[in-house]
Amino acid sequence: MPTIKITVKLIGPLINLAGFSEKALELPAETTVEEVLASLPVDPQRPKIVTRNGQAVAPGEKLRDGDRLAVSPIYSGG
Amino acid sequence: MKGWTGHILRINLTNRTHKIDTFGQEFAHKWVGGRGFALKVLWDELRPGIDPLGPENKLIIAVGPIAGVPAPNTGKTVVAAKSPLTGGFGDGNLGTRATEHMRKAGYDSIIFEGQSDKPIYVYIEDDKVQYFPADEIWGRGTYDTHDYLYKIYGKGVGILSIGQGGENLNRYAMIRSLEGRAGGRPGIGAVMGSKNLKAIVIKGSKPIPVADPEGMRKLGIEDLRKVGEINKQTGWSIQSTTGVLSWCNEVAALPVHNMRQTHHPDAWKIDGERLNNARVATYGCPNCTMRCGIAIRDHEGHESELDYENIGTLGSNLDIFELDQVGSLNYLCDDYGLDTISAGDTLAFYADAIEQGAIKGDFRFGDAEMAKKLLGMAARRQGEIGNLLADGTMRMSRAIGHGSEAYAMHVKGLEISAYNCKFCPGMALAFATCPLGGHHKDSWVITFEIKQTKRDSYGPEKAAKVIELQRIRGGLFEFIVACRFPWIELGWPLEHYPEYFNRVTGLTWSLDDFWKISDRIYALMKFFWVREFPDWDRTRDYPPMIWFDPSNADKDGPIAGKILELDKFNQLLDHYYEQRGWDERGIPTKKTAEALDLKDEMAEVEKYTRLE
Ligand code: SF4
Repeated sequence: MPTIKITVKLIGPLINLAGFSEKALELPAETTVEEVLASLPVDPQRPKIVTRNGQAVAPGEKLRDGDRLAVSPIYSGG
Repeated sequence: MKGWTGHILRINLTNRTHKIDTFGQEFAHKWVGGRGFALKVLWDELRPGIDPLGPENKLIIAVGPIAGVPAPNTGKTVVAAKSPLTGGFGDGNLGTRATEHMRKAGYDSIIFEGQSDKPIYVYIEDDKVQYFPADEIWGRGTYDTHDYLYKIYGKGVGILSIGQGGENLNRYAMIRSLEGRAGGRPGIGAVMGSKNLKAIVIKGSKPIPVADPEGMRKLGIEDLRKVGEINKQTGWSIQSTTGVLSWCNEVAALPVHNMRQTHHPDAWKIDGERLNNARVATYGCPNCTMRCGIAIRDHEGHESELDYENIGTLGSNLDIFELDQVGSLNYLCDDYGLDTISAGDTLAFYADAIEQGAIKGDFRFGDAEMAKKLLGMAARRQGEIGNLLADGTMRMSRAIGHGSEAYAMHVKGLEISAYNCKFCPGMALAFATCPLGGHHKDSWVITFEIKQTKRDSYGPEKAAKVIELQRIRGGLFEFIVACRFPWIELGWPLEHYPEYFNRVTGLTWSLDDFWKISDRIYALMKFFWVREFPDWDRTRDYPPMIWFDPSNADKDGPIAGKILELDKFNQLLDHYYEQRGWDERGIPTKKTAEALDLKDEMAEVEKYTRLE
């Protein structure tokens, strides 16, 4: 089965909740953003901002080889 | 009238006299408190064109009806004056024990007028006001000043003080309280210094007037507990505001190299994770169960309390990626009583101007040791460079010339906080329309902009979001006076705030009643600016021009090749003005002013400019 390699970067307290800050993952090709999110030990109900390579991404979008997925709680920034 | 003491303490520093003014329900209901009170007093009592650093300016300290009452995050106080940095309306808030003491002493506001002939500090205990020479603390930093006063009055009193920055009229000097709390970015500390007022010590012993004291106490304490619980569950204060640094780096909105760059491979070295790992202490404001202040040991071994803005402006924007060195710069700013944001941006501008060949100098990006020296010079106005730096980026760029105005990162003279908006039109609008200048405080739309809408949109939805947030953050939280973090960071529902307000005042107001007051305050803040600058036009509401310069677009990363577009930004401004009921210059129309019950204020501003 073809696979892709991506990086997941967690931000803020999600790091402590999930137990890692940044991780390389090898996944089946065509894996979607929401499938990756569902695999993380982070409350699925919690509002988050998810970006792929710095751009907002919809949950149903398929990931591509080399993507960087950043998952952040919603901040106000002080 | 419950909820307000109905008293304003007016202290004249020229002749060291004081009196207590009273106000009634009409004033209280129209302006509520905090920013509302401060603005109305400054509007009524300042002649336009006065020197902000002269005796005619007034320093206002103001709390709101729920300030100091046990309820989520009510330990804040507003400080305000005509700004020596911008020439317009200036205010800020800070967490301090003075909040509760002021209310217990029987005042909703304190006005300092005139100018003492010698450095003094003022001690207020209920109805008593005393003036003491400040010889032993003049010239000393805020930490020493606090220690000196704590020794005399005990740790429980409220203290507001300035450092060397305020004494020497550095235009971005702030007022400091407690460990790392500071407020008044637009130079309110310099106004205090211009009055030769080193510190205010306050102690009150009367009950705060609350309509339903038992109900409020029970509700407030329970809600403080609940907010603390949510904070724990979400883990927000593990990194507090600093989690946003890595996010800004991911989405290319981090200030780097005087905002010429938006991300940096070393940003992780100064991010919230590293900060939390280096934590040696945690601090917070009174009446707070979130305690967002994360302190680390700085390069010299001091405790230094950092938040995102400090790290973004004193760290990445100066290409300094050593956390302990960022801590040192932050500690110095706190001790000198300088605004970290303006200080960081001013140094970044200086390094940039040297790099561009607009001025000669030894300072380079990344040089933390030199940055420390320059901060000391700016705080004390030492030499030509110290004087230049002490005036902030706008004046520096005018003095330097050679096109440097284009990369002086300020709006209306106030330096921009730590969000690089090269390609964030909504956040650029938030900076552009903030009533203080380049501040994130009143509206923070960047997460909305990137998550909910298209980043490249200049549509009316962005203007609407900026206004919605201004009503809440720049309105509600600034006039009832409470910290916005339970709401904005933890999702604590806004509906709680009219509940607290009504228990304190005995009124039955809803959130809709608050929004009208927010809009009134926004309109009057704009009138304040227009009265000072009668040739007002929309260009004063523009962000720095470099954000529109295609040659400044990122070469790589998420926004490579992208930059704001001026004609589209003008359309966004039009949306904003239209939704606010302001004309194309950005001035509230007669119809808007009338609807906001600003008839007298309208008549006054019409002496200076025509209203549509
Ligand atoms: S959350 Fe932070 S700024 Fe707000 S009241 Fe608490 S300690 Fe102060």
